[in-house]
Amino acid sequence: MAAKKLRRAKLSPELCERLGRHQITTCQDFLCLSLLELMKVTGQSYSNVQKLLCKVSLACAPKMQTAYEMKVRRAVNPSSAFLSTSLHGLDKVLHGGVPCGSLTELTSPPGCGKTQFCIMMSVLATLPVSMGGLDGAVIYIDTESAFSAERLVEIAESRFPAYFDSDEKLFSMTRSIHLYRELTCGSVLKRIKSLEEEIISKKVKLIIIDSVASVVRKEFDPKLQGNLTERSNFLAKGASLLKYLAEEFSIPV
Amino acid sequence: MQRDVGTLPLAPALRARLAAAGFQTAQELLDTGPCGLSTEVGISKEEALEVLQVVRQECPGEAARTAGLSRRCTALELLEQEQAQGFIITFCSALDNLLGGGVQLTKITEICGAPGIGKTQLCMQLAVDVQIPECFGGLAGEAVFIDTEGSFMVDRVADIAAACVQHCQLIAEAHQEEDHLKALETFSLESILSHIYYFRCRDYIELLAQVYLLPDFLSEHSKVRLVVIDGIAFPFRHDFEDLSLRTRLLNGLAQQLIIMANDHKAAVVLTNQMTTRIGQSQSTLVPALGESWGHAATVRLIFHWDNNQRLATLYKSPSQKESTIPYHVTPHGFRDVQPPAVTQNTDGTEMNPRKRPRSEEEK
Repeated sequence: MAAKKLRRAKLSPELCERLGRHQITTCQDFLCLSLLELMKVTGQSYSNVQKLLCKVSLACAPKMQTAYEMKVRRAVNPSSAFLSTSLHGLDKVLHGGVPCGSLTELTSPPGCGKTQFCIMMSVLATLPVSMGGLDGAVIYIDTESAFSAERLVEIAESRFPAYFDSDEKLFSMTRSIHLYRELTCGSVLKRIKSLEEEIISKKVKLIIIDSVASVVRKEFDPKLQGNLTERSNFLAKGASLLKYLAEEFSIPV
Repeated sequence: MQRDVGTLPLAPALRARLAAAGFQTAQELLDTGPCGLSTEVGISKEEALEVLQVVRQECPGEAARTAGLSRRCTALELLEQEQAQGFIITFCSALDNLLGGGVQLTKITEICGAPGIGKTQLCMQLAVDVQIPECFGGLAGEAVFIDTEGSFMVDRVADIAAACVQHCQLIAEAHQEEDHLKALETFSLESILSHIYYFRCRDYIELLAQVYLLPDFLSEHSKVRLVVIDGIAFPFRHDFEDLSLRTRLLNGLAQQLIIMANDHKAAVVLTNQMTTRIGQSQSTLVPALGESWGHAATVRLIFHWDNNQRLATLYKSPSQKESTIPYHVTPHGFRDVQPPAVTQNTDGTEMNPRKRPRSEEEK
């Protein structure tokens, strides 16, 4: 949204050309300047510049919705609001399960079962909606190389023996879980950026990143100067990208 | 403005002295100012002021432009305005007392705290509370919620709103008044939710654009009394190499918010994150976005943990004392730690809007 060219914000072409000479081509450049600078650059009066600001802002600003509309949308499609974890106690505490459209973080000391939980959630997501799943593909970004496909099949067979009775079903389930092994922060970020198209093409309904902390701790030594800011930058960038993906596609992350 | 001094309706002696001092046009008189005039012409300062006022009356074009821009009023008028103004209650009486009645209109209140402490909860509670009808002690206004972090959960707001409606129903039953029951007809879950206007801004450009457009939006929806920006720090904290640009944008944002709060009599509530300041031997948690941002908010609340108890501290306020109170976040929303004493207000007609009778909380 920020990189939207001014041309598309419905400004007149002469104005765009004039602004282009001052290296102002996107909405971001336009909105970052103060009113006085804008007046100088466009050569227009105060009230005209304010009107221009409104026009450019209209092009960038988010749409309004009332809380009621949001609620109605969720109520209409209750199954799409949560992914049940199949653990009744946990579902009750979480008000239905892992919420779709937002980030959920799982932390614990080592060995408690985080990766097991993630593997189980992947199985659940591939189940059809009638069984409480999301009937979609899963993207699994593994940074610790802890994902074992055999364990995945074992969980599927013992948990839902009635459903996975044939090899075919097992194969289709395993085929819809896309595993990416990333070992550095940079590659994780690149992978997250490329996810948007994959989500649409493969009909992904769940994103799992196991785990964020391990790759960050490996690379950024907090004692070195400047690393803290780099680390927080990386984490914040990743978080905002994931949030955007979660909200845009209404899927749990 | 080029009017000759000789044609102004002044006493002839005065006119003669002005002419002797060399003044020819009215513009020159205005440019000199009363003190300069009094020294040059040899008249007292009050007389010089009178001369200038006469000049201004005669030449109305210049005068109208300068007089209309001042927004001054006496402190007495301001006092009357402030006393008549309402507050947005938070349903936590300790916090209301801390703030002097609740969140004030026309002021910017900033809430800082570590993640998970209840900042968004308080914002959602306020968005519901601003809509309480006037007969129950509320403002009967609407709310604008600008979300940058994506932490707005509609179901949670529905829970809080349901608890609020239930609370008002209990009061109405206790008092059995005509206007209470009438107000309750319109004060329902659907109406509360439809008067919360939600904007999801993904980065700082969208936030800036939205704040530019807000004054027009507020003029269209004149009942809005609360603007919440949940997470003003989030879009500005990462990916910003140019810190001076960030400071400039934040200051511009603060200015616009203050103007908006004053023009539309709305309260502005911002939530901020905490950052660690690493000192010589220890590190402390301080509000994010730097020192200069600290000047933007009028009232600053800091939420923090103490073992398992959540505490709220009033860190900066022009009129209230600095103190700390505990609070809880319950399924009904933001509440006190102990249920407050039941005060039955027998005289129902004379209701001080700041004191509302509270029926017992059910936890």
